[in-house]
Amino acid sequence: MRVFETSLADQATVAAQTAAAQPARQVVALKSSEFRKGREKSWTELETLIGRIDQSGIRSLSGDELERLPLLYRAALSSLSVARSIALDRNLRLYLENLSFRAFLAVYGPRESMFESIGEFLLRGFPRAVRKVGWHLLVAFLALAVGVVAGYALTVSEEAWFNAFVPGGLAEGRGPSSTRDELLHDEIFAPWPGFAKSFALFASFLFSHNTMVGIFCFALGIAGGVPTLLLLVYQGLVLGSFIALHANRGLTVEILGWLSIHGVTEILAILLCGAAGLVVAERILFPERRSRLESIAAGGQGAAPIAIGAMLLFLVAGILEGGFRQLVANTDMRFAIGGFTGLLWFSYFVFCAREPRR
Amino acid sequence: MSVTDERVADFLEGPQRRNRREIVSPEGVPLAVEIATYGERATAFMLDFLFFMLATFFLVLVGAAIAVSLSGGSFYVAMAVVLLVALLVRVFYFINFELIWQGATPGKRIVGLRVIDRRGGPLRSSQVIARNLTRELEMFMPLGMLLSFSGGKTAAWEQLALGLWALLFTCLPFVNRDRMRGGDLIAGTIVVSAPRRALLGDLVDATLRHVFTEKQLRAYGAFELQILEELLRRPLSRDTGRIWSEVADKIISKIAWPSPVAARDVERFLRDFYTAERAFLEREQLFGKPRADKHAEEKAVS
Repeated sequence: MRVFETSLADQATVAAQTAAAQPARQVVALKSSEFRKGREKSWTELETLIGRIDQSGIRSLSGDELERLPLLYRAALSSLSVARSIALDRNLRLYLENLSFRAFLAVYGPRESMFESIGEFLLRGFPRAVRKVGWHLLVAFLALAVGVVAGYALTVSEEAWFNAFVPGGLAEGRGPSSTRDELLHDEIFAPWPGFAKSFALFASFLFSHNTMVGIFCFALGIAGGVPTLLLLVYQGLVLGSFIALHANRGLTVEILGWLSIHGVTEILAILLCGAAGLVVAERILFPERRSRLESIAAGGQGAAPIAIGAMLLFLVAGILEGGFRQLVANTDMRFAIGGFTGLLWFSYFVFCAREPRR
Repeated sequence: MSVTDERVADFLEGPQRRNRREIVSPEGVPLAVEIATYGERATAFMLDFLFFMLATFFLVLVGAAIAVSLSGGSFYVAMAVVLLVALLVRVFYFINFELIWQGATPGKRIVGLRVIDRRGGPLRSSQVIARNLTRELEMFMPLGMLLSFSGGKTAAWEQLALGLWALLFTCLPFVNRDRMRGGDLIAGTIVVSAPRRALLGDLVDATLRHVFTEKQLRAYGAFELQILEELLRRPLSRDTGRIWSEVADKIISKIAWPSPVAARDVERFLRDFYTAERAFLEREQLFGKPRADKHAEEKAVS
């Protein structure tokens, strides 16, 4: 039947088409065109608002306009969904998709200022991220401790080990041949080098040996964590060997005081970097159900704040080293400052922005 | 994007087509976003680099003057000041602009790029901080150390490791589909191109002078319709006129249009055909019988 009908209709129109003297006319109404005419005004309004936000920021909108924005955004999204199901006008669909996306950017963009977000990071993000790592920090600490003990034990009995452990650049002429007086007066109680040198020491904290070690500890997490641990052990060896050199000359207390003033902060920073590296390593070795890339990304979200915060600790250590170490020429005072910074970090990481108990 | 949209885009843009990715807005509507190309990313970064280096330069002029007067002209101090100021300017430049301009820095804005959350959620400030401070870790610090310690303070293996580290992160955007660098990966963000698209006029004419039968309209599907739309939207020129008459000839022979179409009527004919075809296809789609392209019938039979 149907075939019959169409062919009949065909014949009728073909007749009309061939009789071109009086051209055939047909009036059509498209649902998609009606839809477009009905909604176009609100799209234009939204587009104007977004244009103004792009030009002069979201603060340039009045209260009423701010209220309209999410409404218009949702209207655009619903228009997009409708257009996808009923319209075959490609330009219209692309336009609505683009408009919705630009409105999405304006509606869901960040709302805090830079200082608010940095404050948020320091008061909440960083200490919370640190509290989330548990055994990573412990393992990093153990690796360093093993190094310190081994370095100390070896160097105390045989000082030649010092040259093996401590690179020349770091030893700065100190070694088995140094006398007690040299160490005491040229290093531990060396005169304050003056503002300029101190400031330079502080400002170059970024490029100091220990900062680099910290970055490597984090970075080598990508290689599965073993290099991170080795590096921590090695740092321990250097530190232990350094202490042993002074201990053999009866300067144990003095060197500990000299180190504690900035060392508490700096060693903590290295440990945090190591822990962050181990978090990444864990994610690489045991991705569980995720792909490795996704797993690294997920781990990175926990580890990156720690590594970034650790850089801040290195900065503080730089200030302490450059500003206070040689200015405070008294071992007791040095211990006091070292202990105080330790206490400060401890309470910061343990108590700052505690999650409410459930 | 539907399958037909993908095909049309492939056909029209060819090999230059951008990588696309779908995000789902918090309201549950999927939106296709275009991943920024390497060229755009590099251009934006170069511009930003230029801007913050200029800012650093002026700040350093002031800072170094103070430092030199305090220290009596030590090169070491001046260098330290430069490095510190450069670091602060760089970090604050990126974080500040990406926060106040909804994920764009001046360079990104000029090129038309935005940073967005990878899954389509709101862009949080912690993500902005993470992706920009990671840049320090992945690029500037190792390079800075490599340059500042060339005087023998670092061992060869350390230099090698620093170089490898920087190289690894430079390569990262080239080995993943969303072109994320390390900071994007960690912060869960992607950089997309957000150009502004204009709404063009509706090509539909309410009154048709050419009347087509359903059988004639069945010759084509949504794919061909959208290519035709693209052709009709081209600006008038001799080239466009030639393509139009070629396409009109093809349509005429395909649907067996009985009378010849005069050269001046070609546009009119194509627009009428577009309107009729779209009305027909949209109605079919509404009744649950979408026609993807001209082969739709054969597929349905076989």
